[in-house]
Amino acid sequence: MSDYDPLLTVESVSKRYGDERVLNDVSFTMDRGDVTVMMGPSGSGKSTLLRCVNRLTEVDSGEIRLGDHRVTDPGIDVDALRRDVGMVFQDINLFTHLTALKNVTLGLREVRGFSTDDAREAATEQLERVGLGDQLDSYPGELSGGQKQRVGIARALAMEPELLLFDEPTSALDPELVGEVTAVMADLAAGGMTMLVVTHEKGFAREAATDALFLDAGSIAERGPPAQLFENPENERTAEFLDRVSTVSGEP
Amino acid sequence: MSETGATRTTADTGRVVSGSLGRWLTIAGGVLFWGWLLARWLNNWFLPAGVGVPPGESFLDPAAVAPISDSLAFAVEYLPQLADAAWLTVVLTVVSIVLGFVFAVPVSVARVYGTYSSTVSLAFTELIRGTPLLAQLFVLYYALNLSTLFRGLPDDGFLPSAVVYVAIIGFTINSVAYQAEYIRSALLSVDREQLTAARAIGLSQRQGIRHVVLPQALRFAIPGWSNELVYLIKYSSLAAFITVPELFNVARSIAADNFAYTGIFALVAVLYLGLVISASKLMAGVERRVAIPGLGGTASQ
Ligand SMILES: Nc1ncnc2c1ncn2[C@@H]1O[C@H](COP(=O)(O)OP(=O)(O)O)[C@@H](O)[C@H]1O
Ligand SMILES: [Mg+2]
Repeated sequence: MSDYDPLLTVESVSKRYGDERVLNDVSFTMDRGDVTVMMGPSGSGKSTLLRCVNRLTEVDSGEIRLGDHRVTDPGIDVDALRRDVGMVFQDINLFTHLTALKNVTLGLREVRGFSTDDAREAATEQLERVGLGDQLDSYPGELSGGQKQRVGIARALAMEPELLLFDEPTSALDPELVGEVTAVMADLAAGGMTMLVVTHEKGFAREAATDALFLDAGSIAERGPPAQLFENPENERTAEFLDRVSTVSGEP
Repeated sequence: MSETGATRTTADTGRVVSGSLGRWLTIAGGVLFWGWLLARWLNNWFLPAGVGVPPGESFLDPAAVAPISDSLAFAVEYLPQLADAAWLTVVLTVVSIVLGFVFAVPVSVARVYGTYSSTVSLAFTELIRGTPLLAQLFVLYYALNLSTLFRGLPDDGFLPSAVVYVAIIGFTINSVAYQAEYIRSALLSVDREQLTAARAIGLSQRQGIRHVVLPQALRFAIPGWSNELVYLIKYSSLAAFITVPELFNVARSIAADNFAYTGIFALVAVLYLGLVISASKLMAGVERRVAIPGLGGTASQ
């Protein structure tokens, strides 16, 4: 593929669980270096959409392409796809029995075939990048929520993905720990990483995002530059929702 | 108020002292128990002829301690034969639990993550857990006549005789089923999202299970595993019924000779108790050693 094509193409994706239409004809694209934030009420299908992109969930219909990967083709090598898509989870999901360093080296060694020494070196570098160079040998149980989530980001980064997915990376954190995580994410964005971020942190969205999507009941209700979406939402539901988020997080 | 404070301090100090005293007594008891057992076994198989005492005979002369106490003399006379027989009890237990573990891991993984193999694994565990261990031993020994397979192997007391291999096979099969159940529930108690996270960085399901799920599950399985070890020590006495000369069997034949059932089986009880306590202490030590902060809750603060 050429570099001018979109990196991620989501085309008419639909998904239902039982009778519930969770995703309803969703289409959008992302270019390399784009940072797209996705907002929407709980249950609107945000996590499901992210999980379709790295095939943790299968779509019912529609198509997703990521670079050369035809994501929704049944026959593809999903492990190869997942090497190119990183994911950062709401529940963080660090490997509980491994130190911060080993959380990062596991994928390097088992998936990318690094030697022990090379993996250690590369993982140390990633952990330093998220400000955790002094916590290499700490277990998840010994880290704060913010530190854990930064390890989660380092773990995903170490695979050198083309696209990083974030599923509400700060919503399980105490409010005072949110900033250290969004700061790392803003750094990544500034460094040119392509990121699809589910978040309700408007500060991060304004500062770092190139694009904002509003998902409502499984459909994209509105899309635009973050500033425009926040100041002048065209869709009534968007406006209502953004109001509520602002009240909760106490932003102006 | 100051009075109650003082009382409590004394009580606390007392508890601390008796706590550490208990620990020292346990250690001393353990050293004595295992030192003596090892000395017996070394004496029987590894000392050149003419050095040490003949197998089954005591280091001390029973007649010499008889003036102190008759019970002591009785113990000195019969404990050596029992200690020699305890070797087989230990061999049966240790070999079966280790072999059982090696097979129980794939069986439990198949049960939890397999499709077709899950049914096979379920059928196996239910069959084994649903039938008496003694019946299983009888099938192997009488119906399948397995001991003929092992005829001609060396049997010098240290290396066991053919029938011991049959018992090991029986106990191993049985232990696979029970250990697989412990490991299965441990696998199920690992947060599902751990495997999702492993898959998300590109690990295959197999790699995720091996590097992420199993290391956590096996730690969760340790309490169940120590249970199984304790059971196996005691159940190994069933090998007596297929003629294995282990602790219980030897005790039974000594008692049949001298009719001192109470005395002999009291000594046997002490030996089993020593083995069981050692096993639980060992497993508690293993659990502490592999504990990880924040994993499993109870082991870590
Ligand atoms: N594995 C699943 N099985 C059944 N229903 C599901 C599953 N995952 C999500 N859902 C349902 O799909 C809807 C959208 O969920 P989700 O994508 O998690 O929304 P969001 O992340 O926007 O809160 C919810 O109603 C949820 O109950
Ligand atoms: Mg969600």
